[in-house]
Amino acid sequence: MNDSAYNRVLTASRALKELADRPLKFMEVCGTHTVSIYRSGLRTLFPSNVSLVSGPGCPVCVTAQDEIDTVVRLAGMEKVAIATYGDMIRVPGSSLSLAQARALGASIHVVLSAAGALDLARRLPDMTVIFAGVGFETTAPATAAVVLEANRYGQDNFLVLNFHKTVPVVLETLAMDPALALDGFLLPGHVSTILGLSPYAPLAAEYGLACVVAGFEPEQIMAGLVLLALQNREGHFSVQSAYPQAVRPEGNKRAKALLEAVFEPADAKWRGLGLLPGSGLKFRPPYSHFDARIRLGLVDFPAPEPAGCRCGDVLTGRIHPSECPLFGCPCTPEEPVGPCMVSSEGSCAAVYRYGRSEFR
Amino acid sequence: MCLAIPHTLIAITGPKTAIGRAGTVEVEVRTDLIDTPAMGDHVLVHAGFAIERLLPDEAAEVEALWESIRAHSVTASHE
Amino acid sequence: MTIDGYTVHPLSFPGGNIGKLAVCGTVNDLACRGAKPLYIALGVLAEEGFDEREFLGYLTDASTVCHRLGIRIVTGDTKVLPRGELDRLVLTTCGLGKTLPGRDLGISNLRPGDDLVLTGPVGLHGATIAALRYGLKSEGLASDCAPLWELVKKILPFPGLRAIRDCTRGGLATVLCEWAEGSRLGIEVDESSILVPDTVSSVCDLLGFDPFSLACEGCLIIGVAPGETEALLENLASSEEGRFASRIGSIIPAHPGWVSLLTRSGGRRVLDMPAGEILPRIC
Repeated sequence: MNDSAYNRVLTASRALKELADRPLKFMEVCGTHTVSIYRSGLRTLFPSNVSLVSGPGCPVCVTAQDEIDTVVRLAGMEKVAIATYGDMIRVPGSSLSLAQARALGASIHVVLSAAGALDLARRLPDMTVIFAGVGFETTAPATAAVVLEANRYGQDNFLVLNFHKTVPVVLETLAMDPALALDGFLLPGHVSTILGLSPYAPLAAEYGLACVVAGFEPEQIMAGLVLLALQNREGHFSVQSAYPQAVRPEGNKRAKALLEAVFEPADAKWRGLGLLPGSGLKFRPPYSHFDARIRLGLVDFPAPEPAGCRCGDVLTGRIHPSECPLFGCPCTPEEPVGPCMVSSEGSCAAVYRYGRSEFR
Repeated sequence: MCLAIPHTLIAITGPKTAIGRAGTVEVEVRTDLIDTPAMGDHVLVHAGFAIERLLPDEAAEVEALWESIRAHSVTASHE
Repeated sequence: MTIDGYTVHPLSFPGGNIGKLAVCGTVNDLACRGAKPLYIALGVLAEEGFDEREFLGYLTDASTVCHRLGIRIVTGDTKVLPRGELDRLVLTTCGLGKTLPGRDLGISNLRPGDDLVLTGPVGLHGATIAALRYGLKSEGLASDCAPLWELVKKILPFPGLRAIRDCTRGGLATVLCEWAEGSRLGIEVDESSILVPDTVSSVCDLLGFDPFSLACEGCLIIGVAPGETEALLENLASSEEGRFASRIGSIIPAHPGWVSLLTRSGGRRVLDMPAGEILPRIC
């Protein structure tokens, strides 16, 4: 960070002190925000009446237990290779994680991009390559692009285990939760790059919540918080962007068109929140032969979340990670019980790694 | 929820591919999601795909944002 | 005496290869105890069909380092395993060195107020290997793999020298956490004083890695009595491996067992031990 970024953090920190004239509780929706806030020690620069709770914006964390089990089960099949993002590898399933399955001989490949998963299918023509696609609206367009490509070239050994989820519905669910009593959402920067600002409009208009999109650098997060405090002070709630560098009000039309072409809204199961109507994506019929669930006739076996694990409550801001009885013992980043401790952007891992004895 | 890193496109290698440079690293970038990618474009890349063109930090929109924040910060420091 | 096994994928990388790594690693383990490395025993496990010329190339690089430092490879053993039972090549080196009488450089010497000096940039080895593994082309990125005995030899006469450790697997973060835990003292580090080369931070940004958790193979952390820090830094700066040495923090009585980091944005956070395999992430 250059000097001016450092100064901007200080400037914003002063403005936040000035504007927060009563206790304010915001939710940072996005796990990347959570990590950036802890890694930069930003909390130590907040006024004491501003608090942040972490939200459901870690795609690995909100992936349901039975979804994790499904991918682990597929990994154990003959002539199957799993391709997925590194984020998924250490998430504990009911019996095994992908890392443990790999140690037992399963073919599991970390890819940096959905395009890498399709490349793998081309390189392994005798295998069925299953791409476990996690992620929100930022990540799903890449899956859509790759499926279009696989369709064009008839790459039949490429399948997608689709865990993609969408953000606006889940925020409305949280906005309605009286126990949370939020004063606003710090909205995810890169999801908003794709979506633009309008999908969040009901949060401000109907629920009277301040809504500000923010980038991920410390000074960008501080800017977002200042605008949230300002909306509360003025009592005028709207959806604003504090991240003009990467977010156009209308979003990325091309990416949205691609999503629309390949996917349709579907119900999705979230850890800690259960089945939320319209909060996921499923393939439209012309592409459903890429859906691993359909092609392989998979049924999801309902799987309970790990006993005692309160990832669900952490993901919805109901408890602070340290309030989970498993936090720190036995659940640690070395031996995680739930996904919030394993994912590098999980709020439990962030608190464990960066915030345990918060140097206030 | 989504790491995305600024890249500069240094070569257009196909209808949907380019080489992007991020710091000292050069890497293949998919350009399916942006209109008319061109050499020299500053783009934000998430999971190997360019998801948007970036405005520089000096852009008027960014300056205006910080101008308004500074205004509140100045009041604070005078009190 | 010390022993360590070496596997690395790929076997050869900018700045070194498994042969050089196996000797440097053992030399550095000895050096950190203040021991002059004298003898090395080398164990080789190779997969059947491993290219002989490639193998000899690695041995040549290993012996070049030994020759330069006057170390003798006194004994060795080679086993060839059937194809598929081993991934290409594993080296084990056992090193024997001689310490100066009365010179102990363990963690228990650390005292509140001691300064912490880092001799070089962090993360070069880990970033080099990660870039190769994930197909990133990174101009100018090379492992820092180097023998550090000569650097240690220069500073051994400092009476205020408390402890030395090379940052290998787990990087700077791991050593600092081990020192805080082992000494039951606190550690305070200033992020802006730690040199992270652009080549390392570029790879870290792309893969979502923390540079403080990435392996180094040519970088020491030194605990030194505060009065001698300046002289120590001057001494280090005159050598190739120590020319980027800087004071990065100090040992403090507060928060025993913990490392706190003053971040570039002016906040404070815990610097924790990295957990498990470092994987690239998109989130």
